[in-house]
Formats: sequence, C-alpha cells, structure tokens
Amino acid sequence: MDTLILVIIGLVAGPVIGGLVAGLDRRVTAWFQSRQGPPIMQAFYDVAKLLGKEKMVVNQWQILCAWVYLIAAAVSVALFFAQGDLLVIFFVQAVGAVFLVMGAMSAKSPYSQVGAQRELMQILAYEPVLILVFVGIYLVTGSFSISSVWELEQPLLAKMPLLYLALGYALTIKLRKSPFDFSTSHHGHQELVKGVLTEYSGPYLALVEIAHWYETVLVLGLCALFWSTNVFWMAALLIGTYALEILVDNTMARMTWRWMLKRVWLLGMGMSVVNLIWLYAG
Amino acid sequence: MSNLLFLLILLPAVAAAVCYFVRSSAVRTLTVLATGAVLTAASLALLGQETSVPLTVGSVLGIPSDFLIAVLDFALLGVIFMYGVKHKSLLIQGFTLAQAVLLAWFELFMVKSAEVPAFAGDQISVIMVLVVSIIGSLICIFAIPYMKEHEEHLHLKKSRQPQFFFFMLLFLGAMNGLVLANNILWLYFFFEVTTLCSFMLIGHDRTEIAIKNSVRALWMNSLGGLAFVVGMMLVYSKVGTLDISAILAGGPQGALMVTGVGFLCLAGFTKAAQVPFQSWLLGAMVAPTPVSALLHSSTMVKAGVYVVLRFAPAFEGTLLSDGVAVCGAFTFLACAALCIGQSNGKKILAYSTVSNLGLIICCAGLNTPLAITAAVLLILFHAISKSLLFLCVGAIEQAIGSRDIEDMRGLYAKFPRTATITIIGILTMLLPPFGVLMGKWMALEAAAANIYVIIMLAMGSALTMVYWARWGGLLMATREAEAPREKQAGLISLPLMTLCLGAVVLSLASPWVYNSMLAPMFNAPPFAVSFGSLDAATGSFAVVPLFLALGLGAIYAVKAASGFRKVKIVAPYVSGSNVGEDGTYIGPMNGPVPFAAGNMYLGEIFAEGRLTPIFNALAVALIVLMLGGAL
Repeated sequence: MDTLILVIIGLVAGPVIGGLVAGLDRRVTAWFQSRQGPPIMQAFYDVAKLLGKEKMVVNQWQILCAWVYLIAAAVSVALFFAQGDLLVIFFVQAVGAVFLVMGAMSAKSPYSQVGAQRELMQILAYEPVLILVFVGIYLVTGSFSISSVWELEQPLLAKMPLLYLALGYALTIKLRKSPFDFSTSHHGHQELVKGVLTEYSGPYLALVEIAHWYETVLVLGLCALFWSTNVFWMAALLIGTYALEILVDNTMARMTWRWMLKRVWLLGMGMSVVNLIWLYAG
Repeated sequence: MSNLLFLLILLPAVAAAVCYFVRSSAVRTLTVLATGAVLTAASLALLGQETSVPLTVGSVLGIPSDFLIAVLDFALLGVIFMYGVKHKSLLIQGFTLAQAVLLAWFELFMVKSAEVPAFAGDQISVIMVLVVSIIGSLICIFAIPYMKEHEEHLHLKKSRQPQFFFFMLLFLGAMNGLVLANNILWLYFFFEVTTLCSFMLIGHDRTEIAIKNSVRALWMNSLGGLAFVVGMMLVYSKVGTLDISAILAGGPQGALMVTGVGFLCLAGFTKAAQVPFQSWLLGAMVAPTPVSALLHSSTMVKAGVYVVLRFAPAFEGTLLSDGVAVCGAFTFLACAALCIGQSNGKKILAYSTVSNLGLIICCAGLNTPLAITAAVLLILFHAISKSLLFLCVGAIEQAIGSRDIEDMRGLYAKFPRTATITIIGILTMLLPPFGVLMGKWMALEAAAANIYVIIMLAMGSALTMVYWARWGGLLMATREAEAPREKQAGLISLPLMTLCLGAVVLSLASPWVYNSMLAPMFNAPPFAVSFGSLDAATGSFAVVPLFLALGLGAIYAVKAASGFRKVKIVAPYVSGSNVGEDGTYIGPMNGPVPFAAGNMYLGEIFAEGRLTPIFNALAVALIVLMLGGAL
C-alpha cells in the first residue's frame, strides 16, 4: 500500500518538480547572461501552449514513439519511488530513450536522422558509466534495490566520490547540456532545428518535454541517493550539483560526439573503475 | 519416457530419410509439417515426465547400442575425413585423424566396459528439447516456401531440397540426442553429427564462397571435436566413469579432471563460435536463411553453450570457472563492438548471436544459481527472438532483394506486416520487460561481484543498445492510405506469428517458467516469486507489473498513433523548401535534390578488419589463461 502511494506521489510530483527545475534553470542561466529571464513557471506555460497547438506529424510512428517515451519515463520514476531495482529502473528508462531515437529515425529528415544517430552516441557514452555506478552501490549496500540505500549509516558519497563525478558526466549527457548537447542542437548557428527533436511538434513535442522532466527527476533522484542519510545535505548536494551543471552548460562550448566518447569512456569509466577497485578491495 | 525419446531423436532421422528418398515436394511438405507437429507434441509431453530417471538403451537389432554408437562414431569421422580429402583441407584431415586415433585408444584401452545409462534429462535438457523441437520445427516449416522460392531464384535443373531437408531434420534429432545424452560417448557422437550437418547445410548452395565457408566451419568444429575427445579422456582418467551425472555429482576433482573439463569447454567454445572461432558462424551466413536461423537459435551454437553449461558443476569454484566467465564476457563485448560497424542485416544478427552466446557462457562461468538461471533464460528467449529475426530477414531479403539494413529504410511503407514483426522482434531482444533483457539483467546482477566481468558487460550492454535501436528505427515510415495489403504465404506467416507471440507471451509468463522449471534445480533458488515479480536479496524484476504498465501504455500509444489520419501529415523539415514527395528540397539550379542519410557505423573506431585480429589475439590469450588456470 505504501508502495502504491509512493508511486502515485512520484507520478504526480515528477513533472511538477521537473518543470520547476527547468524554469529555475532558465532563470539562473539568464542571470548568468545578465538577462531578466522568463518567469519560473515558463516551462509549464510552454508545454500548455504546445498542447493547444494543431497536431502535425511526419508519420504515425512519431505519435507512438512520443507516447512510449513519456510512459517509459513515467514508469521509471514510479519504480524509483517504489524503491525498485536500480538496473531495472535504468532499463525501463532506456525504453524511452530508444523510442525517442526510433521516432526521430522514422522521419525522413536529415536533422532528425543525424540527431538520432548522435543521441545513440550519447546513450553509448552514458550507459556503461551508469551501470558501473549501480555496481558501486551494490558493492556498498549488497543490493541493487533502492530501499537498501536508505538503510545506510554513512552517505554513499563517502565511499563513492569518484563514481559521483562519473555520474556527473552521465547526468550532463542525459540532461543534454553543453558540452554534450549535440543530439538536440544542430544547424549552423541557430537553435531552431533541434536534432533528434526536429520533427516532433505541437502536442507531441509537449509529451517529449514532459518525459524529459521525468528524466530530470530520475537523474536528480539518483544523485540524491548519494547523501541518503541527511535531508539537508541531500538538498545541498542536489542544489550544488545542478548549479554546477548550469555553470558548465553556460561556460562550455558544444563538442563533437568523438570528443565526448573519448572523454567519457576514458575519464568517466576510468574514475568509475578506480573507485570500484577500492570498493572491491575494501 | 523411452517412447518419447524415440520420437524426439529417431523420428527426425526417419523423417529426414523420407525427405531424402521420396523426391516429391508434396510428400516432403507433409513430412516436415507432420514431424514438426509430432516433435512439438512430444517435447511438450516430456514436460510432464520424470526425466531425471536415467534410461539405458540395451541393444538395437541384437547389437549392443554402445557398440553401435562407437561404430557410427568412426563412420562419421571417416565421412568427415573424406570431405577433408575432397576439399584438400589438411586441417580437417589432421584434426579428424587425431580424433580417430585418440578415440580408438580411448575405447579399446582405457574404457572398462560398464553399462552406463545412455540418456537422462534434467530441467536444462528439457528446456533445450523444447527449444530444439518447437523452434527448430517452425524454422523447417518456414523453409518449405522459402526454399521453393530460393531454388526458383537459382534456376536449378534438379532440386536439392531433398538433401536440404534431410540435414535440417537430422539436425533436430541430433540436437535432441545431444541434450538428453547421459553417456559422454553418446554426447560426443551427437556433437559430431551436428558438426557434419552444419557443414553440409552451410555448403548447400555449392557456390565457391559457400564451399569455402563450409570448409572453414568444418575444420574449426573438428578442432572442437578433438578438444572434446581430449577432454573426455582426461576426465575419464581421473573419474573413471562415462556417466555424466556421476561426473557432475562429484564436483571438481583435482587439476587433471578440471583441465579435462576445460577442454570440453573449449569444444563448446568452438561450437558456440566464441572469439576467436566466430569466423565460421559469420561465414555460415552464405547459407539459405533457414539454415542461419537454425544454427543461430535452436541448434549448433546452442549445443556449444549447452556443453559448457552442462559441465558447469564440474568446475564450480575453480580458476577455470573465472576463466570461462572472462572469456564469455570478452566475447560479449568484442562482438557487440564488431556489430556496431555492420550494415549487413545477417551479419548484425550473427555478431549479436555470438555476443549473446558470450553472455550465456559468461553466466555459466560465474556459476552461481542466479547466473545459471540467467544462462538458461537467455538460451530460451534468445532462441525465440533470434530465430524470429532471422526468418524476418529471410522474408525481407526475398521481398526487396537485399539484406543490407540501409536498403530496409522505410520498409513499413511497403511491407507493414513483416516490418512490424521485425520491429517487435528487435524490441524483444533489447528492452524490458522482455525475456532477453531480463536474462541480461540477471547476468549483470550475477556478475556484479566480479570486476573484470562487470566492466566488460557494462560496455557491451551499451553497444548492444546502439545497433538494435538504429535498425528498429529505420524500418519505420509512412504508409500511403491506399497502399495494397501485404501478402504473406501461410507457411511464412505461421512461424513468424507464432514466434512473435511466443516471444511476448513467454516473457510475460517468465515468473512461472522460472518457478516450474528453473527453481527446482537449486537447493537455494535465487528468486522468490510474488505478484508476478522475481524477487531476490540483490534486487527484483517486477515482470507482470511492468508488463501491465508498459503494455497498457504501449496499447494506448498504438491507439493514439492509429488515429494519425486525423492529424495533419506534413513533409519533414529540410531547411529549405520541400518539393514533391518526402525528403526532397529545392537545391542549386532550382532543381529538386533528394537527401539521403545513413546510419553511423563508427568505422574509425569499430572497423571489423582492424579489430578482428586484435580481438582474436586477445581471445586466444584468454583461452590459454583459462586452460592454464585449470591446471
């Protein structure tokens, strides 16, 4: 019963928090750039406006894929709140990621196609890192279930500092922030064409946007696990991490997928492996 | 039970002979259909039987059966040797000769004649029998219309289908014998029969390339056969019995015996096409598609992983076990990487098969109840999904004349049925809540305690995602409202639909499959099942709840998508003015320019030609380490 309540809380709170984070993100970014910036609720207004637009698609698969992306993202957040198995949560999240790519590939548009290929490169970069982070959690707690993290006396961060940094890489990619945002930005010098998102429009783009909010909550939830023992420190960790993401986003130029693959596989995996060796030896 | 075994092992051989000698296509069709039906029924009937009671086969027509098998063994080696001479392959001749000499030595001087029950089964054998009998039969049924069209395409004067179906059916019988064998010499006999069948089937089209590849398959598998004989002799010299269940019951017994088991694993590696032996399976792609489907899903390669899995208790807790796990994980990673660079549909399937087999072997090496469960579930679900995908590629190839995935772009527009089934097949290989992914999840959880293995599995898992997702995506396209319906022959449609449904329904039923078939194998079963969810101390997979959530969601999404004709359909954005049809824009000289996009195959990183020698060298080193570690 408790699980069910938690699931419902997750399903409802997910997009609310995700949308607020998106709004705050834009405010802080504007502040960085000495602009006024939109109201915090802007993300919700945007989605509401998109939902009211005329439905237009290139083909039916996009409708299917947008919906599945949203549903999988919501289910993965629900599982997270239900204290499920980290690997399962991750694979359910991957359902959404795969469908987003497939939907983009179904449209015969160069931007959408290129964006889809780049999104796949992003998945290729972050997936092994995430799995290794979960392995680290398993080594500390003896289980892949989130419920076992809450029983810890000491925050995960103390045992897995390097894995947290590696998770930061994965987080940046997953949130599609600079320098790893190439799958959703492609066109000489403007942002009107959005790579993998190019052909999603109107209400379907709104679905993709809401799904992205769920994903934001999921990755922030993962970060939160690293300081599970104290709510205030957890909040501080989350705020600090996200602030750093925004800073990186605004100070880094977009890079190529080759740069990303090398960086993340060498540095991200390298840090993960070093940290894992401590845990195995310890 | 003896009647069932007769049906499962001898009936296919008899039916094979009928196909060979009665050269009427109607009789052949009927024979294949009837054999398929009987095999399916018999394998299902085996489910309700007590299979663990060993079964002795006394004598056949007054000749002791063990003696008969020995004679057949040498006859078989003779046939293989003759083919070695015919194709001037010194490797085949050498390996076969060495096998014959060692086997003669073994049977004449080493084996003290004692009655050993020829057959016995356990849960793993029963699952294998189901895979072989049901999936194998469906592939043979698919082959009926497929081979007809195949031969029309080749303009043959005289049909070679009698030989084709002879070896296809014989293969099924040999596989059933292999997985039920309890006498290691019988196991060896059936092992060699599958080698010969695969050789004949790969070379079926008799083109230069087909013959070349079949010869390569034969020498590699003869090497495997030789490793098998050596392993058998080493194990016997320590344990002193041919009885597999007795060998396993004793567990690892000293370096000599474990090394012997290591050689048996090596034999399994060659048959399961693990790196560096992957090239024979890749070469086997020249054969007609039903052959590929059979080799990759229910027969040949599964015999390889079965042997490793069968002997897993005999090396539990040894260094060999770790070696097997690392070799398997390496194959999983290496072949997933090689797969990224491929655009040939069959090659993608081949590399992904080898990759998955690596994962199964890795699980056998991890050797915990959780890992063994993962291995068996992977065998089962991989067989269903992979046979489905091979048959889809076969159907697509006959429809569009190409097996290149770039040529399959927008397949849905013309062949909605085949394309949809292929997409479902791809999803069942890749995503939760389907069985293959569940097996992978178990494998990851089982491997988490081994740092070398888990790193390779984590990387391989990501690579897998890329090659499946891009293939699935490019099949999707818009379909014109007035496009004609796709026609599919009944005997093509039946296997495709059955396998497709099977992949989905059986995934949903996996908690019960686990409970009834796998859990009884262990003293301490790894999972408890509650509310359709598999729960363990290390984690849980909520199969049924996930099916409900994602399944209902998917149904809703399909419903939303099916109303697309009410939605405005627009041309894709091409940063200029669209003209005419899809994907054309006004370019220079004011003329229409079509655009084309291709997948990224990451040639600079994952080039097959450059990586293969490196991977092969590493794999040889790992295998040497594995065998050396056993000593």
